[in-house]
Amino acid sequence: VAIVNQLTTEEQEVKKRNNSGSGSTRKLCGTRLISHSPNSGAAGSATVSDLQPSHAKESHGHSEVSAFEKNPDFHGFSQDPIVDEWNMRMAFFFGISVAIVVGGTFIHYLPDHGMRQWARREAERLITQREAAGLPLMEENYYDPSKIVLPEAEEKNTL
Amino acid sequence: MLKILIPTFMLFPTIWLVPGKWLWTATTAHSLVVASASLSWFKWCSETGWVAPNLYLALDPLSFPLAVLACWLVPLMIIASQNHVAHEPLTRQRTYISLLVSLQVFLILAFSAMDILTFYVMFEATLIPTLIIITRWGSQTERLSAGTYFMFYTLLGSLPLLVALLYLLNDTGTLSMHTLQYIQMTNPDTLGTMLWWVACLLAFLVKMPLYGVHLWLPKAHVEAPVAGSMVLAAVLLKLGGYGMMRMMVVLGPLTKEMAYPFIILALWGIIMTGSICLRQTDLKSLIAYSSVSHMGLVASGILIQTPWGFTGAIILMVAHGLASSALFCLANTSYERTHSRTMLLTRGLQMILPLMAAWWFLANLANLALPPLPNLMGELMIIVSVFNWSSWTILLTGLGTLITASYSLHLFLTTQRGPTPQHFISMDPSHTREHLLMALHLIPLLLLVLKPELMWGWCF
Repeated sequence: VAIVNQLTTEEQEVKKRNNSGSGSTRKLCGTRLISHSPNSGAAGSATVSDLQPSHAKESHGHSEVSAFEKNPDFHGFSQDPIVDEWNMRMAFFFGISVAIVVGGTFIHYLPDHGMRQWARREAERLITQREAAGLPLMEENYYDPSKIVLPEAEEKNTL
Repeated sequence: MLKILIPTFMLFPTIWLVPGKWLWTATTAHSLVVASASLSWFKWCSETGWVAPNLYLALDPLSFPLAVLACWLVPLMIIASQNHVAHEPLTRQRTYISLLVSLQVFLILAFSAMDILTFYVMFEATLIPTLIIITRWGSQTERLSAGTYFMFYTLLGSLPLLVALLYLLNDTGTLSMHTLQYIQMTNPDTLGTMLWWVACLLAFLVKMPLYGVHLWLPKAHVEAPVAGSMVLAAVLLKLGGYGMMRMMVVLGPLTKEMAYPFIILALWGIIMTGSICLRQTDLKSLIAYSSVSHMGLVASGILIQTPWGFTGAIILMVAHGLASSALFCLANTSYERTHSRTMLLTRGLQMILPLMAAWWFLANLANLALPPLPNLMGELMIIVSVFNWSSWTILLTGLGTLITASYSLHLFLTTQRGPTPQHFISMDPSHTREHLLMALHLIPLLLLVLKPELMWGWCF
């Protein structure tokens, strides 16, 4: 409950600041997104606070400023809103519409891959043909047994 | 082939000549067009058996799924890297994308090489951009050690491979894959031939990696930036599997006896690395060890040399490529927000980023081989064919499947469910870019359920 309250208070603060005009964004520069409060150290050296030295929050441009402050429609591609918009459009168009949709349709309409469906049809055709002629469906032996030459029993070597 | 290779080479002028602010837009669009064009490789003419054959390059049903995967990954890598590279100087950004594209070039040439020496040169060539990406753009100081492990483990295997290939060239007069399928092994009993057999396969076993020579992989995957992890997990490991399948043709009857220790190591590795996953605290390290586990299954499928084993290996390689890369992208979305890979610090994210939790769920389901995804298809085919080889293996592979399911579930529950830590003050909502990235990973995986024969290889 405490966390939810904290977030909603933050949200309310952000809304108030955004509504109060152009000077609002400057106040959020340097807002830390990860807590730097001293921890018990139980998590070891890989704690989050060690990764951001304390002077980072003071230096302009190096601290965490959310790109959503300047551009509420940030898509994740670029800080420049126009480049961001176009990058998003290009990525979605070529990625989804061209590659997946058109490419998927192309793959769907490819001819019989590896002639598997042909093989099935051919097998069924041969079966009906042989059954109609009264012939056996297939020879039991793959190779002609009269052509296999086996070595004599004494000549077997252990290879 | 040229209709893919020339546009890929033309990515270099695109990268270097496009005005700075349109760099990422242009390269994303261009590389996606190349990826769409690479789908033409799926048209397999059964008459020749090869796709797009010429004297030097051709694709067959073993290599074209992997080549298409390599072409598909590069736009995904570009989209994934956009955030963390964007604040660097422009020339450095261009260099970064150039390294990714050069990887694509080497990978396409490697998978389509018809001469084994060409394949070897391309196999080695992929090491250099990857090394530069890991050591220059990695985030921690351990990246130097990771690069060293990566280079020297791979070289340990590949220098004997060079000697073995030159010996084979001397012996048979050719290293063309068209011709080598017809040669016979002359002295299978001698120690020299056995050493030659090991030399032929060692490089690929290290690359896969086989458990025992796998130590480079967790380091390299963890220290690499997201694009490096993606390409390593998705495609570079598959170079090892692909190389093994190509070399099996010339390794003749010796494999029946000599493969035993490696099959055992591979199967045991599934369990060991799966168990290590259950104890990992670092998110990327967990995903890296899960890659070793899946590749152990692939290695055992290849080493038993049965049609279903090969088919299962190809399917699992493609499916794992997409799923593992998706997991690394998800880990990166978490890392960019929290700057930590420690799972205990980045947990309970479902409350904050519920849509991303949906992608986490799907990617983890893919990793644990949920039907009807191709991950299960591949795993099941390998497990069944290895069971046919020896009934006892079901103990190892079955236990491995259980452990895979448990660490995937552990990964999902730790990162998404549970209490959200108190030290998160505020977190960016999920970007459109990140959702697109995950969609572009998982939609092909789902589409492959509908037409899996694209991945079945030529043995099925």
